[in-house]
Amino acid sequence: MTNTSEAPSADVLMEVKGLKKHFQVKKGYFKKEISNVKAVDGVDVTIYEGETLGIVGESGCGKSTTGEMLLGLMKPTEGSVTFMGKDLTAMNKKELREMRKDIQVIFQDPFASLNPRMTVEELIGEPLKIHTSKTKKEIRNEVVELLEVVGLNQEQLKRYPHEFSGGQRQRIGIARALALKPKLIICDEPVSALDVSIQAQILNLLKKLQREFNLTLVFIAHGLPAVRNISDRIAVMYLGKIVEITDRDQLFAGALHPYTEALLKSIPVDHPSLRSNYQPLEGDLPNPANPPSGCAFHTRCPFAQEICREKAPSLEEHRENHHAACHYPLYK
Amino acid sequence: MSEPLLEIEDLRVRFRSDEGVVSPVNGVSFQVHEGETVAVVGESGSGKSMTSLSILGLVPAPGEVYDGSIRLQGEDLTKMKRSQMRKLRGNEISMIFQEPMTSLNPVFTIGNQMIEVIRLHQKLDKTESIQQAVTMLDLVGIPEPERVLKQFPHQLSGGMRQRVMIAMALSCNPKLLIADEPTTALDVTIQAQILNLMKELKDELNTGVILITHDLGVVAEVADRVVVMYGGEVVEEATVDEIFNHPVHPYTKGLLASVPKMTGPVEELGAIKGSVPTPSEMPTGCKFHPRCPIATDLCKQVHPQLEETTPQHFKRCFHTEGGVKHDEHERSTIS
Ligand SMILES: Nc1ncnc2c1ncn2[C@@H]1O[C@H](COP(=O)(O)OP(=O)(O)OP(=O)(O)O)[C@@H](O)[C@H]1O
Ligand SMILES: Nc1ncnc2c1ncn2[C@@H]1O[C@H](COP(=O)(O)OP(=O)(O)OP(=O)(O)O)[C@@H](O)[C@H]1O
Ligand code: SF4
Ligand SMILES: [Mg+2]
Ligand SMILES: [Mg+2]
Repeated sequence: MTNTSEAPSADVLMEVKGLKKHFQVKKGYFKKEISNVKAVDGVDVTIYEGETLGIVGESGCGKSTTGEMLLGLMKPTEGSVTFMGKDLTAMNKKELREMRKDIQVIFQDPFASLNPRMTVEELIGEPLKIHTSKTKKEIRNEVVELLEVVGLNQEQLKRYPHEFSGGQRQRIGIARALALKPKLIICDEPVSALDVSIQAQILNLLKKLQREFNLTLVFIAHGLPAVRNISDRIAVMYLGKIVEITDRDQLFAGALHPYTEALLKSIPVDHPSLRSNYQPLEGDLPNPANPPSGCAFHTRCPFAQEICREKAPSLEEHRENHHAACHYPLYK
Repeated sequence: MSEPLLEIEDLRVRFRSDEGVVSPVNGVSFQVHEGETVAVVGESGSGKSMTSLSILGLVPAPGEVYDGSIRLQGEDLTKMKRSQMRKLRGNEISMIFQEPMTSLNPVFTIGNQMIEVIRLHQKLDKTESIQQAVTMLDLVGIPEPERVLKQFPHQLSGGMRQRVMIAMALSCNPKLLIADEPTTALDVTIQAQILNLMKELKDELNTGVILITHDLGVVAEVADRVVVMYGGEVVEEATVDEIFNHPVHPYTKGLLASVPKMTGPVEELGAIKGSVPTPSEMPTGCKFHPRCPIATDLCKQVHPQLEETTPQHFKRCFHTEGGVKHDEHERSTIS
């Protein structure tokens, strides 16, 4: 999807509107004071069928919390998540369970997300056992097929997670997520814990599977190079909000939000000949329990004016299919 | 070239246990010169941290350095007494680790800890020590150093804590600084601040730096020379430009091709098959041969030695020539 005009014509798979999640956290010595952590604070995004949407941002900006709400695993404080025409946030337990077949997840830590007492066959077969009426034999056949798809083999059926390397465990997690032939897979930092050479294997695998099964992927990560490699479109988050969203190449060629630009320039270079004298962004990420007024980025933004301190900019389309939330977008 | 500041030769570390002996470091040699930043790269378990702990005399029991030498300005650290080593650490050699929280004491203020370190190693009185602490915090770009001295570690952000660690590590003007994954736990905008700081300090002080990392971007950003490790061995060593322009060893090439790029066309990544073996399942012959695309029978049977292919470019591989331009697309097209 390099063509900017292509995205809107594709079918909408998920529509996220005004999504918020605020956590009430007790603080202070006597835990009497209550602070309101605005983990996700108004996210609007449309996910199209067959695309990979990257969500990138620094630690604590609300990526995982957003992911959990898209999965229907967490109730939003406000807003809606419409998946294939139905609002997840209004579903009861039974409807949610039914819907989960279509939305699967792959986590960062394959160690923590796999039950250590289950064999590979049981782990990958479990979703089939729960959600379908397939026989034991049918399930086994499917598991063997899935193993092949993710690059493992059937000699490994009876083995336990601890007998596998990190990359292999991630492959098991992927096979499990694929078992029910979902439409959408939310990948939350699926390669962050892996070695460089294994990261490449898993990124290539995810791309291949997406093409083969016409999957829609939401790829959440803090590593921008990996996000660039796999995504068609990229959303940049800062402090609970999407500050910019557009096609991958457009984002790299002409970022509109000063935070995106700073993020791009902060990534270490690909080659020593590309070293620059870039002066990094100053200061730290603000606390989401006490976000700055107006534009949350104004405390670190080199272009901030009076209005940035007072009024929060909304996410607007400044160029075709290129949205940014900034009073003074770059290159305009 | 001048006399090296640090000279590691054929360093070997082993751990003995009931299950047998494993050697996470197996004949590592490289040098660090004054004012030079040497990056040690490699994937998890390649022996990077164990190498740095050997230099510091801090290999955890039952591990031991059983062969080789580590010379700091000619003096062999492996022959030193514990008490001598303790004096050396924090004086001539300083270190910063990945997670500053584990190296800072949570119950003392930053000031207490910095002043203790300064007084331990330098003959300064209390007021002078405080002055020195303020100067160091200022040097690493901490705003309001006097206020930060009164704070506790948990009151600072991750990036600030790493700055404090760097200030402490540099406060005794060490000749050698060992930084083990100093930015791995940090956010990218904060990582950029710390890398920038390391570059500035390099110009200001004349410290030799060993930078341990698995991130080739960090290497491209700050290193002068690069040591690539695999399975406890150095498989390639060269200047940073050589490593990125003319990598020779199949592992180095594979590693470079695995990294997703920020510039140029988006392509399928050149993954290396398989995964890093654990020390107990290390293959015979070339340790990389099960994953190597050009391995032959020779590689399975015989262990290749580290040899100099072109001046200052070392490789451990039978089947590659040095100095041959490799076929990756020209970098110069990227501006
Ligand atoms: N259950 C919870 N209770 C209170 N605060 C929470 C909870 N879960 C998340 N938060 C806070 O919400 C914010 C967003 O968290 P989230 O995990 O979504 O961030 P993230 O972008 O995924 O970060 P990372 O890159 O570190 O994974 C953080 O400040 C976090 O501390
Ligand atoms: N106490 C120990 N007993 C036996 N082996 C050990 C011990 N501590 C470490 N090792 C082994 O030494 C090897 C090298 O470890 P080291 O920590 O130096 O790797 P590294 O290159 O720093 O990896 P990482 O990138 O994960 O930090 C590892 O394979 C590890 O299993
Ligand atoms: S020695 Fe053989 S196996 Fe080892 S890297 Fe070279 S070609 Fe590959
Ligand atoms: Mg997260
Ligand atoms: Mg290490």
